[in-house]
Amino acid sequence: MVTPALAVVTALFGGGLVLGLAQSLGFVPAVGMDSLTVTHFTNVLGDPDFIDSLLLTLYISGTSTAVAAVISTAMALILVFVAQKNRLVHFVFQIPLTVPHLVIAVAVVFMLAPTGLVSRMAIKLGIIDSSASFPLLINDRCGIGILLTYVWKEIPFITLMILAVLRRSGMQLLDVGRTLKANSWQRFRYITLPTIFPSLGAACLIVFAYTFGAFEVPFLLGQTYPMMLPVWAYKNYSDVDLLARPEGIAAGLVIAGVVIAAIAISQALTQAARRRGVVL
Amino acid sequence: MQNTVTAHSFPMRCLGLILVVFAFCLPLQSVALTWDEIKQKARGQTVNWFMWGGFPSTNAYVNGYVARRVKEQYGVKLRQVPVKDISEVVSKILVEKQAGKHEGGEVDLMWINGENFRTCKRNGLLYGPFADLLPNQKLVDWSRPSVRNDFGEPVEGLESPWGSAQVVMIYDSKRTPSPPRTMGDLLNWIRHNPGRFAYPAPPDFTGSVFVRHVFYHVTGDVESWQGTFDEKRFEAAATKTYDVLKEISPYLWRQGKTYPENPIRLSHLLADGEVDFAISYHPAEASKGIHDGLYPDTVRTFVFEEGTISNTHFVAIPFNAAHKEGAMAVADFLISPEAQLKKADPEVWGDLPAIDIQRLDATWQKKFDQLPRGIATLSNEELQHHQLPEPPSEILIRLEQGWDRHVLKKR
Repeated sequence: MVTPALAVVTALFGGGLVLGLAQSLGFVPAVGMDSLTVTHFTNVLGDPDFIDSLLLTLYISGTSTAVAAVISTAMALILVFVAQKNRLVHFVFQIPLTVPHLVIAVAVVFMLAPTGLVSRMAIKLGIIDSSASFPLLINDRCGIGILLTYVWKEIPFITLMILAVLRRSGMQLLDVGRTLKANSWQRFRYITLPTIFPSLGAACLIVFAYTFGAFEVPFLLGQTYPMMLPVWAYKNYSDVDLLARPEGIAAGLVIAGVVIAAIAISQALTQAARRRGVVL
Repeated sequence: MQNTVTAHSFPMRCLGLILVVFAFCLPLQSVALTWDEIKQKARGQTVNWFMWGGFPSTNAYVNGYVARRVKEQYGVKLRQVPVKDISEVVSKILVEKQAGKHEGGEVDLMWINGENFRTCKRNGLLYGPFADLLPNQKLVDWSRPSVRNDFGEPVEGLESPWGSAQVVMIYDSKRTPSPPRTMGDLLNWIRHNPGRFAYPAPPDFTGSVFVRHVFYHVTGDVESWQGTFDEKRFEAAATKTYDVLKEISPYLWRQGKTYPENPIRLSHLLADGEVDFAISYHPAEASKGIHDGLYPDTVRTFVFEEGTISNTHFVAIPFNAAHKEGAMAVADFLISPEAQLKKADPEVWGDLPAIDIQRLDATWQKKFDQLPRGIATLSNEELQHHQLPEPPSEILIRLEQGWDRHVLKKR
């Protein structure tokens, strides 16, 4: 059953990766570049902007994943214990899942720009005197607009991943814990957290990988410089100079490399923790 | 008038031939057909026109009006093939050339200019020169620098003009009753009005052309850049350009720490009152903005007294096109008075004519004069008297790279 789907995925993504790798190694016969070289990679890695871009990208992905994870865990607990019967809450909660990132990014521009809706309302209400005193929330140094977009968009996703597990196996264990006189913190730390951890970790990893490689949100909400790695890769790839293309692809492969490394490291850490018998 | 055209184009044609033969040693197809023979061969052909398909009004004009009229007039079936970026088509033809596919190519006509034309010309990817064979060519003023050279690259009959674009500044006359009229004044205005001006970050097309205006301003010269590229002279002028742009950057919107990513964003900043000017390559865009409700009806446009950069967009035929005669028939129809008039109608597209209106007879001239003009659009005379040519694409690319390094990253 899985084979056809797997074949398609392998052919498309694997083929794309191989072609990309060939081009990033300078193999573009159509424009007369037909020998293999690592210059494009060394150019990318040696560019003084690369470290800035990499750090910015790690900061944005890391922060948005961490913040979304904490809020999602709290939300999942609330949804299970407080609002389990309330269908409306569940419905409202799922809305962000259906909206594309791009739409949210544009909405954030309209809401949070210095002349956006929020700023205009604040002026009407007399909270600030002019749009100039409205704090910079988009195209700003700290990437607040990008972080808000990602957090808002990813919370329902992570929450639903956790909810599924909590509903399935969390409740009976908590009852057992209660009969053994565990207090609420102990129940959370030793029952809930270990139960949800595998799904929470997997969801976080997906979110991290996505935010690390996604282009549209930082393109719209980021600063012109320094820019996140995906924007950097796009800029190189779409350069008028065809010779800059391999560098764009090389940057794209660096992104893929970091994501794969993140998956490998988190897998290794989880395995090691399990082996040492840490309850996680 | 006829004489000047021929006198002009004959050496150009020879030069073109010699260049192409010499540089690429390609067997040149015979272009020594008469127009009647071309028309005869064109009948019944299907012309595949590859073009950027991102402009709904252009698509409607091509698929509706143009397709219908070339069918009636020449018996040519026109098929538009919309693409995201014409450079993809250029690479496709380049690959076809390397693979030895010298005839029967799928692309019959393409909409190009600037960098893509240069790539095509330098790699011998174009059929021609063919432009001089088109009867309507007599309506084109080839002495205009922005028609003779496509971003500094001599056209030499390898492409035929279709329309033109010119930079205009957009402002709200209610907010800024007397806008600066020269680039020098604008720079001073920026210094005295901190935070009220922005330009899109190059390599955005519009941001890039703003930098070229500054480049022309600091060097005080336009014509001399059209010739061969002089590294030393360029470096000195470019450094001066970056210095001016760096010097004004603290006075820009957001202190120049970030830039709007494209002209659309810039026009929203103007509409929202965050900045006082927007820049556009399309003289009729401000009027359209008023019509669409983006701008208040007090918005107007102006061009600098020393002129603004204007360029021409062209159509060209690939060397291996299967239906060259049909493509030539279409190219000729595109510069006919009726097609140019229709295209200039703001209700249809509102693109500037590629032909010289003064060369038309009085009835046609009147029709052009009577076209409805938006309230914010300048007259054709005012625009045409203030046109500067684009510098060669080499300069364009170098300025974009230099802006990135020196102005954006402050190295």
